[in-house]
Amino acid sequence: MSGQLSADIVVIGSGIVGSLAARRLALRGASVLILEAGPRLDRGRVVAAFRNSPFKGSWMAPYPPSPWAPHPIYVPRDNGYLKQAGPYPYPAEYIRAVGGTTWHWAAQAWRLVPNDVRIKSLYGVGVDWPLSYEELDPWYQEAEELIGVAGADDTGSPRKQPFPMEPVAEPWSMRRFRERLAPAYPVVANTVARNSRSYGGRPACVGNNSCQPICPVNAQYTGETAVAAAEASGVRLVPNAVVYRIEHDAKGRIAAVHYFDPDKGSHRVTGKTFILAANGIESPKLLLLSASDKYPNGLANSSGMVGRNLMDHPSTSLTFYADEELWLGRGPQSPSSINTLRDGAFRSRHAPYRLDFTNISQVLNVTNDLIKEGVYGAEFEKQLRWRAARQVNVKNVLEVLPDPDNRITLSSEKDAMGIPKPEAHYSIGEYTRRGADVSRADFARIAELMGGTGLRYSADGQFANNQHITGTMSMGNAPSSSVVDAFGRTHDHENLFICSTGVMPTAATMNSTLTAIALALRTAGHILPQQTTTQTDLADDRREARLS
Amino acid sequence: MAMNEHEDVVANRDAPVDASRRRILAGLLTAYTASLVPWALALPAPQADRGAFTALSAILVGQQVLDAAQTARLYDALVADDARFPADVQALLAFVNQRQVDPLQLQNVLDAEHSPLASLPRKIATAWYLGVVGSGETARCVAYETALDAVAVADVLKPPTYAYGSYGSWANKPV
Repeated sequence: MSGQLSADIVVIGSGIVGSLAARRLALRGASVLILEAGPRLDRGRVVAAFRNSPFKGSWMAPYPPSPWAPHPIYVPRDNGYLKQAGPYPYPAEYIRAVGGTTWHWAAQAWRLVPNDVRIKSLYGVGVDWPLSYEELDPWYQEAEELIGVAGADDTGSPRKQPFPMEPVAEPWSMRRFRERLAPAYPVVANTVARNSRSYGGRPACVGNNSCQPICPVNAQYTGETAVAAAEASGVRLVPNAVVYRIEHDAKGRIAAVHYFDPDKGSHRVTGKTFILAANGIESPKLLLLSASDKYPNGLANSSGMVGRNLMDHPSTSLTFYADEELWLGRGPQSPSSINTLRDGAFRSRHAPYRLDFTNISQVLNVTNDLIKEGVYGAEFEKQLRWRAARQVNVKNVLEVLPDPDNRITLSSEKDAMGIPKPEAHYSIGEYTRRGADVSRADFARIAELMGGTGLRYSADGQFANNQHITGTMSMGNAPSSSVVDAFGRTHDHENLFICSTGVMPTAATMNSTLTAIALALRTAGHILPQQTTTQTDLADDRREARLS
Repeated sequence: MAMNEHEDVVANRDAPVDASRRRILAGLLTAYTASLVPWALALPAPQADRGAFTALSAILVGQQVLDAAQTARLYDALVADDARFPADVQALLAFVNQRQVDPLQLQNVLDAEHSPLASLPRKIATAWYLGVVGSGETARCVAYETALDAVAVADVLKPPTYAYGSYGSWANKPV
C-alpha cells in the first residue's frame, strides 16, 4: 500500500483523448497524473507480433491482453471479456495499454458536419448536442494541429483555418474510383491523422498498408505519440494501474481513486480534479462499479444514463471485381470516400451514411477464398493475381440513434482481478436498417460504374462493427437526461470530468476520435482557463504534440 | 518468382543427379504426377516421406520450384501439428498417382467420396500460401514474407507492414 500518489489532476486512461487533455493541463502548470490499466507497448514488438501472427486478419492479435487489464479478443475464440446480452451482438474491440486503442486505428480524423449536432431540431430524430459546430471549430483546429491532420476541403465539414497538411497522395485505385464515379458520386480524400509530409517529428507515409493493426513507421498519429507528448510536458504516467473504484466525499466531490497493481495490491490516489478517459465501455463500467450508499446506482448516474445510449457505426458492404486492375494494397488502407450522403432531409426517415472504399490489400482475403474453394495447381496463382488486382469493396458507415436500451452494464462474471466484466446490450434499430437498405442502390450503382462482376453483398441483416464507441456518458444540458454538461463536467460531481467518445450524444457518420479529442481539449480549457496570454503559452498549446 | 540462396532450383531436367536420390523420388511418382512436376525427379529426397511432401506440395501449389528450406520448415511444422501427417501425405500422393486426378478437381473428388484425406490439401495449401500451420489455438505462423501468396504478387505489392515505396509512389499505375 503506497497510498502516496497525488496530483492536481488525475486522469484515468492514457488513450489519445485523455493524454492530449492531460498534456494541455500540464502545459498550464498543473501537476497531472495518468493512471493506465494496461502495460506499455513497443512499436517494433507489435510489428513483429503481427508478422508472426497466424491470424493476420485479426487486428487485435498483435495486442494480447494483460491478465490484470483484459480487453475483448474474438480470434481464435472469444475470450469472454465483453459479455453479450443481445439481442444483436456488439463485439467491440479496444486496447487496454498505454496509448489505448489508436495503436490500431485507421487514423480517420473526421469532423462532424454542422447539422449532426441538431438532428432533433432539424429532423425530429435523436437528440441535439448542447453546443454548436461553430463552438467546436477552434477545438477541432487545435486537435488537428496537435495530431497532424491531412485532408481535403470538400467533405461537408466547414473550417475557418486550413488543414495542417495537404491530403495524402491518392492511390491509383482511388483515382480510378474518383474518375469513374464522377459526376454521380464525388470521391474525395479522407481526413486522416496521417502525414503527407514530415510533421511532428514523424515521417510521411510510405505505404506499409498496415495502418490497422500497426503503422511501423509512425506516419499516422497514435496514442503512443500523445502519451509521449504528455510526458514531455510534465505529465506523470503510472502503467498497470487498474482503477477499480472512484471515491467521493460527503459532499459528492471526488476525493480519490483506487487502483490495483498487477499483484492486486491496492493504492489510493488523491487529487483536486479527476478526468475519466478510459473509453466508452470501461469508463461507464468504472462509474457503475463505484456505487456507494450515497450513489447506489453508480457515480454520475442520477439520470440513470450511465452506460446507456450505446452507439457505434454498423456497416454493410459490397465486394466485387472491377473491370480493370486496381491492385488495392498500394498506399494507406483507407484513403477515400463519398461524403454527400452524410446529411439531408432524408435524415428524418433513415440513417445517413458515408460510403467508404477500402484500399486494404486483398491478397489475404482472396487467398482464404481460394483455399476455401479448393483451388489447387497452377490455377491458384493465376486466380490469386486476377482477383487481387480487381477485388474491391465499398461499405457504408451508418448513423445509429441513441436508444437507452442499448447499454453497457456490469456482468455478474468477474475478470482475474475480481472486477465485474462489462456486458453489452445492443440492437440495430429500424432507422439504421432503412439507411442500409437505401445504400444498396448506391452499392449497385458504384459496381455498375466500375464494370463490376461477381457482386457479393454482405448478408441481409448482418452488420460489421466499426469500433466507434459512443453515447454511454452523453453530454447534455439537462441533468435529468445526460451524464455530463457541454464542458464534460459530470452533472453530479463538481470535480469529475469525462473525456471520451462516450460523451458524444449522437454518433453521426464519422469516426469519433477527432471529435472526442476536440471536446477533451475544450474540457481541459474549461478546467484551467487560460490565465495568461503570453505568446509562449499560446505557442505551447498549438505546438504539434510531437515525440519528445 | 523470387529466388534465394536456399532454393533447390533444378529447372534443367538433364542436370546430373544422384542416382539413389532420384530413385527414391521417382518411386513416388507415376508418369502422370511426374508430368505435373517433372523437376521433382531430380530433387534430393533424403527420406521418402519428405519426398512425398515435396511432390504433393508441388502438385497442389502448381509450382515448378519450391524453396528447400521452406519445404523442410513447413513439413516439420505440419508433422509437429499432426503425427499422422506423413502417412496421410503418402496416401494422398498415392491416390493422385492412381486416380490421375487433376489438381483442380482434387477437392471435389475427395469431398464426393467422403475421403478421410479431404482436409489434407487445404492444410498443405494453407501452409504454403499463408505460412500458417495448425488451426485455432494451436495455429502458428511459419512463414510470412515468403508465403506463396506474398511471392505470387511480389512484383506489385509488398506484404503489409513493409513499405511500398517513397511517399506517393502508390499514385502511379501498377505495373
